[in-house]
Amino acid sequence: MEILRQLYDMTAMGEIGETPGVLLMILIGAVLLYLGIVKKYEPLLLVPIGFGIVLANLPGGSMDVVPSEMVELPGHRYMNLFEIASEYGIMNFVYYSLIKTGFLPPIIFMGVGALTDFGPMLRNLRLAFFGAAAQIGIFGVFFGAIALGFSPKEAGSLGIIGGADGPTAIYTTILLAPHLLGPIAIAAYSYMALVPVIVPLVANRLMTKNEFRINMKKQDKLYPPKYKIKNIKTVKIIFPIVLGVAVAILVPSSVPLLGMLLFGNLIKEIGTATSRLSDAATGPIMNTATIFLGLAVGATMTAKVFLDFKTLGIIVGGFLAFAISIAGGILAVKGYNLIAKKKINPLVGATGLSAVPMASRVANELGLKHDSSNHLLQYCMASNISGVIGSAVAAGVLISILG
Amino acid sequence: MTESFDQAWVLLGVGMVTVFSVLLLVVIIGNTLIFFVNRFLSKEATDSSGDKPSVGELHSAKVAAIVAGVKKATGGRGNVIEIRKK
Repeated sequence: MEILRQLYDMTAMGEIGETPGVLLMILIGAVLLYLGIVKKYEPLLLVPIGFGIVLANLPGGSMDVVPSEMVELPGHRYMNLFEIASEYGIMNFVYYSLIKTGFLPPIIFMGVGALTDFGPMLRNLRLAFFGAAAQIGIFGVFFGAIALGFSPKEAGSLGIIGGADGPTAIYTTILLAPHLLGPIAIAAYSYMALVPVIVPLVANRLMTKNEFRINMKKQDKLYPPKYKIKNIKTVKIIFPIVLGVAVAILVPSSVPLLGMLLFGNLIKEIGTATSRLSDAATGPIMNTATIFLGLAVGATMTAKVFLDFKTLGIIVGGFLAFAISIAGGILAVKGYNLIAKKKINPLVGATGLSAVPMASRVANELGLKHDSSNHLLQYCMASNISGVIGSAVAAGVLISILG
Repeated sequence: MTESFDQAWVLLGVGMVTVFSVLLLVVIIGNTLIFFVNRFLSKEATDSSGDKPSVGELHSAKVAAIVAGVKKATGGRGNVIEIRKK
């Protein structure tokens, strides 16, 4: 009997029974794993996050991320990484070295940059403005969050979900409200996975059938562009360098994200001379960063942190931020169409939030549903890519004002 | 609370103005570069139509056709992540 009792004490079963919140968190982790594996919703992120949650909530495994107060020493100093690893386990080593320092999101942004083609935006530069209009949800939802009792820093982190950009949301939250990292990352990636549902939901409510049928190719034929690009390759190589310098001067706090995005894009556009760098940025580096980011974010989601009223506020507020951003883009195009001769399909505004390229694909399919010859993809990609820049700049503003 | 709402208004104003300014900068830089490159660094037979894809790019109609094909073949469960020319 004594042997059986000792065996029972050695396992985690006793602790699980004493803390029912742990079971709920394991269930949440299982749901995320289900969504990632079976439903294929953002599997590259939801699978590591879901598994990270399961690992973190199994008692005795020392895989949960501890609050920063626990690694703080007297005199505003912190434990070194060796001390953190030996005291709190490897997951805390990963979190405090790679996540808390803000290292991984810019690394992922470098890979995103190397996968991004600025060509559609350069060919339709005026559409870039709608990437700005679609950032209104980031700042708009701030008011509601304050009214719900969030602190300004927490409200800023919540608002950035409206930018529909996972690495940007994580980077901003690390700097403003690291204790909300788990719920905000989950909300951001879940809503990004739900773009095929949310974009049509908002667009169908704000757009008329005639607006869905605005054919951009026909508009281009009616009102052709003033000039054609004669050497797109050279433009694409110079563009990230010049833009990087200009943005660094205007919004320095956005440079870690935007600078890495533009660097990634530059090594892609140079071509064969830097193709090895580009392959590394989009392959091994980005994949490794994604694994550690997902697992560590999941490991922050312990029952104590997640099962809180604020998590519910983040889920509702995140959806509102997302929906307001899409609506902002659509309404901006509708306003523009009132005064412009050359009409723009408002779906181009709806893709002004990031979520590249899923938002563009969804908008393209919506356009094709109403007119089978209405291919909007390259136009939507223009505002979609400018949305990535816009959300990184918005993050920079939040960090510099609230941080 | 009032102080926080005041901060929210400032953030809304500063944030949206900054985002618009940076994207205006994107438009200005883009147009200036295109003008400069067209004038001094233009190459024959490179992107002469303005819509034709350069190496490594595909025409949007082709991309849409590939995406639609994959969707149909996989019953809507498959996604096109990358398209490479060989």
